[in-house]
Amino acid sequence: MSGALLNFASWLENTRLALAIADSSWAYPYVQLTHFVGLSLWVGTNVAVDLSLIGVGKGWQTPSEVSEALIVWNWIGFAIAVAGGLMLFAASATTYVINPAFLVKLGVLIPLAFVCHVVIQGKVHGWCQKPNLSPLAKLIGLTELVLWLAVITAAVLIPFVA
Amino acid sequence: MLFHICQRLQHNSWIFAVNSYPPSAALLEVVHYFSLFVVVGSAVMVDLRILEIAARRRTLAQLGRQLFPSIWIALGFAVLSGFIMFGVAATEYFDDGYFRRKMLIIVAGAVLTAIVQWNAAGWSRLPAMPITAKALAIVSLSLWIGAVLAGLDVAALSGIG
Repeated sequence: MSGALLNFASWLENTRLALAIADSSWAYPYVQLTHFVGLSLWVGTNVAVDLSLIGVGKGWQTPSEVSEALIVWNWIGFAIAVAGGLMLFAASATTYVINPAFLVKLGVLIPLAFVCHVVIQGKVHGWCQKPNLSPLAKLIGLTELVLWLAVITAAVLIPFVA
Repeated sequence: MLFHICQRLQHNSWIFAVNSYPPSAALLEVVHYFSLFVVVGSAVMVDLRILEIAARRRTLAQLGRQLFPSIWIALGFAVLSGFIMFGVAATEYFDDGYFRRKMLIIVAGAVLTAIVQWNAAGWSRLPAMPITAKALAIVSLSLWIGAVLAGLDVAALSGIG
């Protein structure tokens, strides 16, 4: 499987778009900017909902109201982050697929955090029907926060474990 | 005098130790990036609300009550972690045009966000968002996205840090 993955990475790295990004003197920062702006929207809106679940700002708005207010731009941020991330990955695919920190980030942490996020979005309205948020709801909010912190930690470690 | 302070910072043993020890150096970066994402993401959401293309079922005041504390607390963490990372190469950063540009943009963005927060309650009571508010929001949006780009430029073009 690792051979197939490396072959795919090599193919991706030699596509026209990937080569254009890698060879350009100016494109790479703008691709990073795309990824970071997307992440800002994604992480920023996630954190707002998670903090609301944990109880920060209790009494201002319910977590359901916060989630509803931010949901559209939350997913727009995700799409932008993924688009930027795919371009960053493509430009150095063969380097990333053998990097343990990147594999943990993409293969373990992001799926876990994403599942947490989908659960929160699906359940938050029901959780807020009760007079008090359940301990489980607070735990899931805290878990998502910790998981996205872990994703960023893995991303920071990518250059160090290369 | 500022350069002299930078020189002293650069020779501070604690700052050197924190930046040299890989786990603490990585922790600084994680805190800096995470707080950056919270600041920019939250500020952008406030600006998009002013422009009436996000969170339209909530007033600006309601959304701001949730997001402004996050912006300022995260900015505090970003400044603190950034200051410690700055310290280890203070004189190089001090002389670097890209870094100075980044700082200027961040200060401008923070000032505009403070102005927005000051006016949020009043603007929310009006029948429509004033043109000046929308103009401020566009500038603020540009500044925060510019701050991210400026930060990337420092690493890519200066090679410091």
